[in-house]
Amino acid sequence: MSDKASGKAPEMKHSPGQPAPTGKEPLPANKPGGASAPGAGGGAVPAKPEAPANPNDVSLTIDGRSVTVPKGTLVVDAAQKLGIEIPVFCSHPKLDPVACCRMCLVEISGPRGPMLQTACSVPVAPDMVVSTETEQVRAVQEANLAFMLLNHPLDCPICDKGGECPLQDQTMRYGPGISQLVEPKRHKNKQYLISDTIVLDQERCVVCWRCIRYLEEWEDKPQLGLFERGGATLIDIQPGKPVDAKTGGNIIDICPVGALTNRVARFAYRPWEIDRTPSICTHCSIGCNLRMDSRTHSVRRIVGRENMAVNDQWLCDKGRFAHGWINDAQRLQTPLVRKNGNLVAASWSEALEVVASKLQSIKKTSGAESIGAIGSAKLSNESNYLLQRLFRSTIGTNNIDHRAGADVAALPTGLPALVDLMKPQYGPDPKADVVMLVGVDPSEELPILDVHLKRAVRRGKTQLIIVHPRKVELTRYNGPYLGCRPGSEALLINGIAKLALKQVQNSHTAPADAAGFVADATKEALRTVCGVDVDEAKRAAELLAKAKNAVIIYGPMVAQGEQGKQVRNALTNLALITGHGSRLAYVGLEANSQGCRDVGLLPNALPGHAPLSDEKLRKTLEKTWGGPIATKAGKSYSQMLDGAGSDLKALYIMGANPASERPAWAAKLDALDFLVVQDLFLTETAQLADVVLPAVSWAEEDGTFTNLERRVQRAPKAVRSPDSKAASDWMILDHLAARLGAQWPFANVHGVTAEIAKVIPAYHGLTWDALGDQGVQWDAAAITRAKPTMQPVTQETISTDGYSVIGGTVLYDDGDLFAKTPLMQNMAFGAAVGINPADAAKMGIETGSLLKVSSAQGELILAARVDPSVRAGSVWIPESLPNAPVGALRNGAAVPHVEITPGPKSAA
Amino acid sequence: MNRADLAAMAQREQDRQDAFRCRVLCCASTPCLSSGGTAVREAIEKAIKDGDLDADVQVVSTGCMGPCSRGPVVTLKMRGAEDVVYEQVTPEAATRIIQEHVAKNEPVKEFVFPNDAPFFAKQHKVVLANSGQIDPESLEDYVARGGYTALAHVLREMKPDEVCESITRSGLRGRGGAGYPTGIKWDLVRKSQSDKKYVVANGDEGDPGAYMDRSLMESDPHRILEGMAIAGYAVGAEQGFIYVRGEYPVAAKRLERAIRAAERRGLLGSRMVDSQFNFRIDIRIGAGAFVCGEETALMASIMGKRGQPVPRPPYPSQSGLWGKPTLINNVETFGSIAPIILNKAEWFAAIGTDKSKGTKIFALAGDVNTTGLIEVPMGITLREIVYDIGGGIPDDRAFKAVQTGGPSGGCIPAQYLDTPVDYESLRALGSIVGSGGLIIMDERSCMVDVAKFFLDFCADESCGKCAPCRVGTVQIYKLLDKITRGAATLADLETLRELCVMVQETSLCGLGQNAPNPVVSTLRYFYDEYEAHIRKHKCAAGVCALNEKPMSPAVVAPPRPKRKVARLDELEAV
Ligand SMILES: Cc1cc2nc3c(=O)[nH]c(=O)nc-3n(C[C@H](O)[C@H](O)[C@H](O)COP(=O)(O)O)c2cc1C
Ligand code: SF4
Ligand code: SF4
Ligand code: FES
Repeated sequence: MSDKASGKAPEMKHSPGQPAPTGKEPLPANKPGGASAPGAGGGAVPAKPEAPANPNDVSLTIDGRSVTVPKGTLVVDAAQKLGIEIPVFCSHPKLDPVACCRMCLVEISGPRGPMLQTACSVPVAPDMVVSTETEQVRAVQEANLAFMLLNHPLDCPICDKGGECPLQDQTMRYGPGISQLVEPKRHKNKQYLISDTIVLDQERCVVCWRCIRYLEEWEDKPQLGLFERGGATLIDIQPGKPVDAKTGGNIIDICPVGALTNRVARFAYRPWEIDRTPSICTHCSIGCNLRMDSRTHSVRRIVGRENMAVNDQWLCDKGRFAHGWINDAQRLQTPLVRKNGNLVAASWSEALEVVASKLQSIKKTSGAESIGAIGSAKLSNESNYLLQRLFRSTIGTNNIDHRAGADVAALPTGLPALVDLMKPQYGPDPKADVVMLVGVDPSEELPILDVHLKRAVRRGKTQLIIVHPRKVELTRYNGPYLGCRPGSEALLINGIAKLALKQVQNSHTAPADAAGFVADATKEALRTVCGVDVDEAKRAAELLAKAKNAVIIYGPMVAQGEQGKQVRNALTNLALITGHGSRLAYVGLEANSQGCRDVGLLPNALPGHAPLSDEKLRKTLEKTWGGPIATKAGKSYSQMLDGAGSDLKALYIMGANPASERPAWAAKLDALDFLVVQDLFLTETAQLADVVLPAVSWAEEDGTFTNLERRVQRAPKAVRSPDSKAASDWMILDHLAARLGAQWPFANVHGVTAEIAKVIPAYHGLTWDALGDQGVQWDAAAITRAKPTMQPVTQETISTDGYSVIGGTVLYDDGDLFAKTPLMQNMAFGAAVGINPADAAKMGIETGSLLKVSSAQGELILAARVDPSVRAGSVWIPESLPNAPVGALRNGAAVPHVEITPGPKSAA
Repeated sequence: MNRADLAAMAQREQDRQDAFRCRVLCCASTPCLSSGGTAVREAIEKAIKDGDLDADVQVVSTGCMGPCSRGPVVTLKMRGAEDVVYEQVTPEAATRIIQEHVAKNEPVKEFVFPNDAPFFAKQHKVVLANSGQIDPESLEDYVARGGYTALAHVLREMKPDEVCESITRSGLRGRGGAGYPTGIKWDLVRKSQSDKKYVVANGDEGDPGAYMDRSLMESDPHRILEGMAIAGYAVGAEQGFIYVRGEYPVAAKRLERAIRAAERRGLLGSRMVDSQFNFRIDIRIGAGAFVCGEETALMASIMGKRGQPVPRPPYPSQSGLWGKPTLINNVETFGSIAPIILNKAEWFAAIGTDKSKGTKIFALAGDVNTTGLIEVPMGITLREIVYDIGGGIPDDRAFKAVQTGGPSGGCIPAQYLDTPVDYESLRALGSIVGSGGLIIMDERSCMVDVAKFFLDFCADESCGKCAPCRVGTVQIYKLLDKITRGAATLADLETLRELCVMVQETSLCGLGQNAPNPVVSTLRYFYDEYEAHIRKHKCAAGVCALNEKPMSPAVVAPPRPKRKVARLDELEAV
């Protein structure tokens, strides 16, 4: 399968020198000796090309054919346009040229006659004459390949790259066939770990600098470098400092030889024996495009796939390496039904029968209101859509939600478009001149956004404003940083809005009534309540006021609970005052956070962000679904869990694990009359269930996901274990619906996709086929929203007791989807609590000391991690860490306050 | 300080010097110090004290006087008499010079290096005019000899384009190796539009055996500063850097002192010489890599990056230090500027040949009677340099070849001894003028071994960035080594030729492009010597061990079809 053929955005410079990982390119017809090619031999004088019509274009002649390309195009790309391939090693379309491998030397006419020049670094010039097939060029290509191979170990039979290796391919096409150089080869490190997941073979390395350049140009982390010089030159890490850039694995994809290999996938595949499925990553809401390589029903490796509107061609290391869970032996293989207190294997018909009859009887005795359903933002649109359809229509309740669902003050539309942030990546022309991040840490939570932002800052001169209680990585770019007290964001944002109002006073952008809504947020309050430097807030306000296209992004950390609504109001005020209202965006962090809301997995909204009261949509849905839909708003995620066992009698949980979040919830789940869990593993929640239904993952069934900028993308089925009875979500729900008396019309999952595309206006036309390999962004204008207006903002009093807890998530969180890849274990964050050095010193704590973190709700014993990025007076306990259920301390508060005391061991 | 102040300062210093009946100039540059210069100076001072001549005699430490192999060298300047140069001065001789020559005006004949000796007579000192004549640590001494008047003149009387034009008319070409016309380069930088520009003096001098630049920096540092400041004015730069090789601490120290002194007197810095022009100079110390002399690598090094070349274009004149237009010239090039301004372009252009103007400094080394630092007019023949200035080959052995341009150059055999030394003539012979190393070899040198020496140097100094140089130079070295061990076959010679051409043609920077030159030129002129090593196991010079045999033919790679490559044909045509 060639993903290459799929759509390519205009930013694309030229195809990478290596066919992999985007699929093999067909070799263009190779003219023997180049003799028949026009212009070969450099002698023939070709007709002078006509001057281009566009003054920004340049016309030149390559191998006797003329071509017109934009100014600044490199010769290698101009040749590509004519279908002329110039071999390259060091050149890469996503990296700046270094011209060090010399493979691309071609003859370019100049004032002193034709000269050999590197096509990868020389830009086109008017009337340039280029010859790529002369004897001289051939000789040089042969010589360069000989140089490249001279110290190369030629261990192709045991090299992962074999079969998709540019060095092999080019040796076949351009090599001398015979080497006259018979001296012994140099020996260097062969199986050298430069990180837990990346292996370097210095003997295979051809010193093309691609890896070095990636880390410098994209990650801004020069973690690989050249050491020694001359013939001894090698690539290495700084002593004792492994590559830890979150997207470091990309260097494996771009290495043109087998020098960098994927340790997780090592020796697990031969490129010619694998099936390649173009899919997307579901570890976070970016939705990076990837290719899943599989064989004999198991995923062997994951590589990046180009989508210029999403991830360029990069993946983060979690997306690339953490796929061990797909084929893990602990996956549920068969339905389980509780008998005599124990979960025992059952047939599908038995299990489904139990679920159907139990739900029916509870509905009869306690009413539909006593039943609830929880879906998951990790699952596809189809799974979640069907879950809400089943419960809204067949059961008749709006008790439907997902974690971070209705409790979060989200905006419906997500980011304007990732390409707007990515636009400056190859040139100094940023679409977003200011990006404000409120309560999101892209470096941990959205690693590819992090890479795009770094590019935007460094190449596009975009300014970053960061509001976060931790001094997150991106603060290194010296934009205004506001490390306010956790929980004081609403006041802070309104304060920035007030400062900005002064800046824009004479312009017409600010709403007339603005001043009244921001009056409370005085400088004094910013200083005392938020604990920030007012000058820094002024800087932020100035930037936003001056910006032409600022994007303001906020995340779940600041959007939870009642105070989350205040933050949203304050952000609305700020955006209105500074004129960036259309570019205020909430980003959920899970793969399908956006999709879940889009398909209506919410207690208070119908699919397509329509209110429950939307009669028109309700009519359509009732017609399609064949029955009435509950009208009363349902319970939210936390309300359902809090009420479990009391007003809620039965819960159907698909892909969520609330029992791991709070011990209190686990107890309540246990008190339910009936609990069904549909999942991949026997999670803490599943262990409490009456019936467990084994599901399949995103890799095992077709599904669509909607990323943080509303791009709907396909994740096709790549593998499926023949030994497992696990079934797709849609099929389980379809069977269950049938047993509950509903007749659903789906022949396969694409039918569900089609129904979504039919009933949700924003999704009109987005059928499986229409989405293609690059996805489609749904049009924000397709949903009707009230025009935003200035909002009152109240700041709740912040307790000054103890320490406030900073949440957020980390990339290597050690959840199930991470932990099942054992090679990554050393990278996991661990059950730890981050604490400011000053606080640590006060208590005499160092990294590794055990601490007791306690609140009225419970306590945790965690290892200290002294970390200067944590605000003094706060502690950092990321969410979703197994063994650190910070929910135990929360009691629903967005920002809980805890006491810290030295833990058991260190006290002893 | 303005022009009148400058003249007054010069006059004061001149008066001070004239007050002494006699001035004793002791060479205090590295070669003379290493042959006992310090003891000589002590002896001189003691003799003066003993003779109670303090008021009469001034002792001055100077830079290099030229005939380095004949050091320690001392020059005696008696009021009203011609300078007398003493060579190979011992402490005893020094005492006698004071007691007899200074006190009694009776020169110590056996130590006198006659002024009319061809060593001096055939030289023409323009850039080295002050070397050995002034105290390099004295700004006043430099000013007394007309220092900084060129700068003052330029700042007052000339517009930047006129300066560039004047340099272009002088015909001065870069002395760093490539010989690019200096005025044209200046004008390119002048015309580049930018808020900031830089001037860089290249004092990295990595050629083994060459020390022209070190000597100039040590002997006459202000001359370089003055040239740079004029350049800064001409191209519109306010910041200059001198990149000094790490092995040259004395040069760096003297330059540093010179900069401070000039700044204190308002000859550098803001609103210098009472003008609107500001120019600062800072020193950057290299870390001893040959490739850091290459301009793009040098700039990378100044910017704190690994010293590795980057492809040109863009040239430094468009995008150099921190992406700004940058003028980079060799220190000797800058040293030529003040005389051109003072004496007019036409004067300079009258020296030398049609296309190579002015004078060039060479470090004469190897098998000649007098080695040392010489400055000669362009167009002088190699024979004059070897036999007149250098005094011929020791013990009347036969001259074999001269290596010009160091590891990037080539050798020139005896039949071309009458070739004029200029850019074009040497290039036609397959060598280059280069930065100024001249190594004379007599019949005791094996040319295969010589080539091997230079390739060893280049393979070691290759920065490792580009494949041909990184791998190719090592490979060429190995093949040469194989020949000197006796293990080579004639097929290896073919491989060697091809390899050389490929490394020349495909390397990224001048280091790799020129690294094979010593091999190519020795193959061109001494092919029979290579053949003798292989066919007859014979090294005429008796240098190579030749104690191995070729591998069995089975192990030797089979020949492959030949490709037509212009450079290879050229090579084979000879
Ligand atoms: C490998 C290599 C080493 C060089 N070393 C020096 C050097 O030591 N000093 C120098 O002035 N130029 C050196 N050059 C030449 C410089 O790149 C540059 O051409 C020169 O400094 C320009 O000054 P010019 O125009 O005054 O000659 C070297 C070039 C190469 C390729
Ligand atoms: S490891 Fe791979 S990408 Fe890095 S320099 Fe070597 S060959 Fe290039
Ligand atoms: S030619 Fe040699 S010194 Fe120059 S860039 Fe290439 S490897 Fe480095
Ligand atoms: S591809 Fe141009 S030099 Fe490597």
